[in-house]
Amino acid sequence: MFIQTEAMPDAARLKFLPGREVLADGTLTLHDKAQAAQSPLAERLFAIPGVAAVSLGKDFITITRAGGDWQRLKPAILGVIMEHFMSGAPVLRKEVPASSIAPGTDPEVAGHIKDALRQVIDPELGYNIVDLGLVYDVVASGGTVRVIMTTTTPGCPATNYLKSGAGEAASGVPGVELVDVQLTYEPRWSPEMMSADAKAHFGIG
Amino acid sequence: MVGVSLSRWTMSYFAAALVALLVAEFLMTIGYGFPAAAQAAPETLILVHIVAIGWLSLLMCGALLQFVPVLVVQPLHSDRLALPALGSLIAGLAALIIGFLQLAGHVDRDIPAFALAGVLLGSGFALVVWNLGRTVVAAQTIPLASRFVVAGLACMAATAGLGIIFALVFGGTVTYRPLAVLTGAGLPVHVVAGLGGWLSFTAMGVSYRLLAMFMLAPELEGRTTKGCLYLGVAALVLAIGGGVLTILFDQDPEFVLLAAAAVGLMALMLYGGDVLHLYRARKRRHIELNSRMAALALASLAASVALIIVLLPLGRLTDHIGAVVFLIAFGWLSGLGLAQLYKIVAFLTWLECYGPVLGKAPTPRVQDLVTEARALKWFVLYFLAVWTGTIALLASAALVFQITAAAMLIASGGIVAELVRTRRLADVKAVSRLPLGVQRPRLLLSYHA
Repeated sequence: MFIQTEAMPDAARLKFLPGREVLADGTLTLHDKAQAAQSPLAERLFAIPGVAAVSLGKDFITITRAGGDWQRLKPAILGVIMEHFMSGAPVLRKEVPASSIAPGTDPEVAGHIKDALRQVIDPELGYNIVDLGLVYDVVASGGTVRVIMTTTTPGCPATNYLKSGAGEAASGVPGVELVDVQLTYEPRWSPEMMSADAKAHFGIG
Repeated sequence: MVGVSLSRWTMSYFAAALVALLVAEFLMTIGYGFPAAAQAAPETLILVHIVAIGWLSLLMCGALLQFVPVLVVQPLHSDRLALPALGSLIAGLAALIIGFLQLAGHVDRDIPAFALAGVLLGSGFALVVWNLGRTVVAAQTIPLASRFVVAGLACMAATAGLGIIFALVFGGTVTYRPLAVLTGAGLPVHVVAGLGGWLSFTAMGVSYRLLAMFMLAPELEGRTTKGCLYLGVAALVLAIGGGVLTILFDQDPEFVLLAAAAVGLMALMLYGGDVLHLYRARKRRHIELNSRMAALALASLAASVALIIVLLPLGRLTDHIGAVVFLIAFGWLSGLGLAQLYKIVAFLTWLECYGPVLGKAPTPRVQDLVTEARALKWFVLYFLAVWTGTIALLASAALVFQITAAAMLIASGGIVAELVRTRRLADVKAVSRLPLGVQRPRLLLSYHA
C-alpha cells in the first residue's frame, strides 16, 4: 500500500491519500476524541500526540496538527493509516451523515449562531456567508462554539476579516463564552453550496 | 497563513498610473507624437513610454503587488520595497523623457539623462521582480495563472534590459558594437517583450483568475490553459531570445519574429477559447460592470489579432503598426485595466474601511461603493473612442484621431472621477457610510497594511 501526502495552503494541515476510498460520499470533520468515537481510524489518529483534528473525505484524510512538526508526526500517522486499511476494519462504526453538526451540539444555540453569522457578508459577492454556504459547520457545546468555515477562494485578502467577523458575530450570541473559528479548504467552496435564496439572488439555475 | 494582507502602496501605484494615462491622452489630443510625428521621433517615444511605463507598467506592478499573494496564497515578501520601487520607476521615467527631449534637441545634454534613466528604471523594475519573485518562490503551490505572471515578469526583465541597453547607447555611455547593433535593430523585440510578454501575457494570466472569481466560473487548469501557457512561453522565448541572437549575428530578425507570431497566434486562440468558456460556464448570470467591460477589452484583443492577420499577407503591417499597437495598448490592455480597476479599487477600499468592523456592525456591500449605471457611459465612450481612433489611424486621419483622443481623455477623466468617489465613499448611503470604528480611507494609500 502506498500513501501519498499533499501539502496544503495552511501549513498546520497535511493531506494523506491512501489510494482507496475513505468515505462513500461527503466529508466528516472530527475535532476531538469524543467525536472520533464514530470512526476507529480517527480514534487511533487522535491517539497520536499533536493531532488536533481529522477530516475524512472520499479519498483523503486531512490531519490538522496542534503542535510539533510534520517530520515527527508523519511517520506515526502513515503507520496508523496503513495498519487500519491493511486490517480491513471499517472507517466508520455506523453510517453517519457527512458534514452534519457534531454530537453534543445544541441545535437551538447552533441556530442562533447561524442567524448571527448572517450579519457577516462576503464583500465581493455582497451576500451573507451562511447562505453563500461558506459556513460548513457550527459546533456548540456549553458556552464553547466552533465555526468551521471557508472563503470563496484561497488567499482572498478578505479571509482574515471574514474569520474575525464570524468570531465577532458568534460571540455576540447570548450564552456563548468562547468562539473558535477554523478555516478549511476541504472541500473547496463552489456556488452549488449556496442556499436556494442565494442561488436565486445570483441567477443560478 | 491563509489570508493575505492589503498591499499598502497599491493605491499609490494606481494613482500614478492614472495620472500618466491622462497625460498621455492629453498629449495625443494636442497632436503630440504619432501620428503627427514619425513613429521613431523623440516625441512619439516620449508618448509611448508614458503609456508603457507610466500607465500600463505602474498599473500592472500595483495590481501584482496585491494580486500575486492572492494567486499563490502567500504574503507579499516585502511591503517596504514597494515604495522605493515606485519612486525609482517614476524618477526613471522622468529621466527617460528628459533623455528623449535631449535627443530632440529641446534640452541641453548636460545631464546624463539616459544613463540615469537606465539605472533608475532598472532598479525600480528589479525591486518589483525581486519582491514578487521571492513571494512566488516562498509559496507551497504555484497555480497555473501565476505561471503566466512568472513568464510575464521574465519578459519585463528582458524588456527593461533591452531598454537600458538602448538608453545607454542613445546617451553615448556605451559604444560596444554588438549593443549598438542591437539598438539599431532590436526595437521590434523590445516592443514584443514589453507589450506581448510583460503586459499581455501577465494580463492573460491574471484574467484567468479574476474572470473566474468575479463571474463564479470554474477555474481553468486544463489542457487548453496549459497549452496556452506553453505555446505562449515558446513564442516569447523565440521572439525575444531568438530575436536578440539573430540581431547579434547581424541577421534580419523578421523570420524569427514571424515564426514566434505563428506560435503566439495558437496560444491566443487557446486563450480566446478559454475566455469564451469562462463567460459561457459562469454561474453568475448577472455579471458586474467590470466583467462586462472586460469583454470589450477582450474583443479589442481579438480585433488586434485579426488586424495583424489581415495586414501581414498584404504586406501592410509595417505601414499600420501604429494602429495595431494603439489598439493593443488602449483597447486591450488599458480597457482591461480600467475595467478591473473599477472593481479592484472598490474591493480594496471596502476591505480597508469595513473589513475591521465585519461582524461588529452592519456593513455595506462592495457594490454599494459604486454606481455602475453612472459609470457605464464613461466606459462606452472610452471603447467607442478607442475603436474610432484605430480606424482614424488606419485611414491616416490625424485630426479625427485627435478628436477621438479627446473623447478618450474625457472618458478616462470620468472613470477616474468614479474611482475617486469610490475612495471617498461618496456613493455609500450616509446611514451606513461610517459605522463606529470606520475611518474614511486616504486617497493614495491603504491605511491597514
